[in-house]
Amino acid sequence: MRASVLSVEPLGPFSLVTLGGVDSGAAGRFHMVRACDSDSVIGRPLSAIGPAEGGARFVLASSGGGLAPLLRVGAQAEVQGPFGRGFDLAAAGRRPLLVGGGFGVALLAGAARELPGATLLAGFRDAGQALAAGLVPAASSEVIVDGDLLGALGRALASATGVLAAGPDGLVRAVAARVSEAGLACQVALEAPMACGYGSCHGCAVRLDGRLQRLCIEGPVVDARRLAAA
Amino acid sequence: MSTLVGGVALEHPVMNASGTCDPIAAAAAGVALHADLAAIVTKTVTPLAREGNEPPRLAEAPAGLLNSIGLANPGIEGFLAQALPQIAALGRPVVVSVGAFERGEYVDLVRALDGAGGIVALELNVSCPNVSSGCISIGTDAAETRDVVAACRGATRLPLWVKLPPGAPDIAGVARAAAQGGADALVLTNTLRGAAIDRRTGRPLLGGVTGGLSGPALRPVALACVLACRAATSLPIVGVGGITSGPEAWGYLAAGACAVQVGTALFGDPRAAGRIRDELDQLIPPPKLSTTG
Repeated sequence: MRASVLSVEPLGPFSLVTLGGVDSGAAGRFHMVRACDSDSVIGRPLSAIGPAEGGARFVLASSGGGLAPLLRVGAQAEVQGPFGRGFDLAAAGRRPLLVGGGFGVALLAGAARELPGATLLAGFRDAGQALAAGLVPAASSEVIVDGDLLGALGRALASATGVLAAGPDGLVRAVAARVSEAGLACQVALEAPMACGYGSCHGCAVRLDGRLQRLCIEGPVVDARRLAAA
Repeated sequence: MSTLVGGVALEHPVMNASGTCDPIAAAAAGVALHADLAAIVTKTVTPLAREGNEPPRLAEAPAGLLNSIGLANPGIEGFLAQALPQIAALGRPVVVSVGAFERGEYVDLVRALDGAGGIVALELNVSCPNVSSGCISIGTDAAETRDVVAACRGATRLPLWVKLPPGAPDIAGVARAAAQGGADALVLTNTLRGAAIDRRTGRPLLGGVTGGLSGPALRPVALACVLACRAATSLPIVGVGGITSGPEAWGYLAAGACAVQVGTALFGDPRAAGRIRDELDQLIPPPKLSTTG
């Protein structure tokens, strides 16, 4: 569908962009978003933070990358989705722990809304980035700036019943390994380059269960045990 | 605007390019890709199942896309048992793309597909740039192309469309060789080999080191191939490379193609084929539109 940018709000090094008429989708699912006013031939996978007045809200880096034309009210986007498998919220138990880093933490916002008892543990490179933690309406939050997120994770796991993680690839894989060692259920949102988002391009292959599979179909949220089998 | 491609009658001239449409996965994701296609062209099928190349498999390029998928597919056995029946059940004409690494494998593939339900033509992929042997090395060699096509011609009654690589040093010569071998149509062209460097590491960005360039950046190259092969043979030509609009498809028809395939544009806009078909309908047919088969 064709969607208009309804609003653009700065948030530290990020921009919050509302796309009109877009269904935000279940927590952890994603859209393919392409700026019409660019020579980019493919969309980019983006998960909505959640619904906003008139549409759905997304977070972009302020530079925008290939989506820079969308940092202007009235700009047009081609939006497909929502696609993929999101978080299985019931599997996180009564005391879910949400773990995220960078602006990928925004992907946890929908889960936090659905899990009122959730705790957020988030790590950022600097205080500006850490503003993104405010996008996740968790009951309680621990925000770490330029610190030892995995160390804090070890402590936080003692009171958690399950973990949902999102953020840079290296981070979520490290979280998956640490949580699995602790014997807790863990779901991670993975990232991969995608061209279509609906299973046709085979560009988003990641190794799951020991073999390359399309992340747009299998994920982007997968059970951490599927990584361990790789 | 109906058309005829190498003995295959099509409702209109717009298909997908091989490797850009998995109609079953798309439908499961809520995207009805197949409805607007004059024919569904399958992802290339090889003799054995292939996992494909290591990721990363995609990199954006200026006005284009590099892919290094590496012919990931279930192999002919899995294709015949599972994928083809599901695709055929969609009710659209099916063109099966086949790729292999030596002549005998191509023959085995086309023989296995001869008589399978729903197939209207076979597309011989002798041009994939993302595998380490066979395929593109065949399509850049006129004699080898002629021999592969001739061997396949003897193994199936289905029309044979031959998809050539844009980087062939003498693509007109390869096209003539395909005609001599008994090809029913040419598909011009596959992607053009390219590469990207990761700015963080200084190393090739793609897991397969190089990939195939598609999208608008490829269009002038593919158009030149169509013009060269139009002058060299009377075979029907399917134009493919960077088409995003009706006027661009029209350009291929004006250059001598009788149908087109849309690939990368479908990724960004799954309705692109239908839109291009509708835009094409609004245009006056080009003076040299070929509908002969």
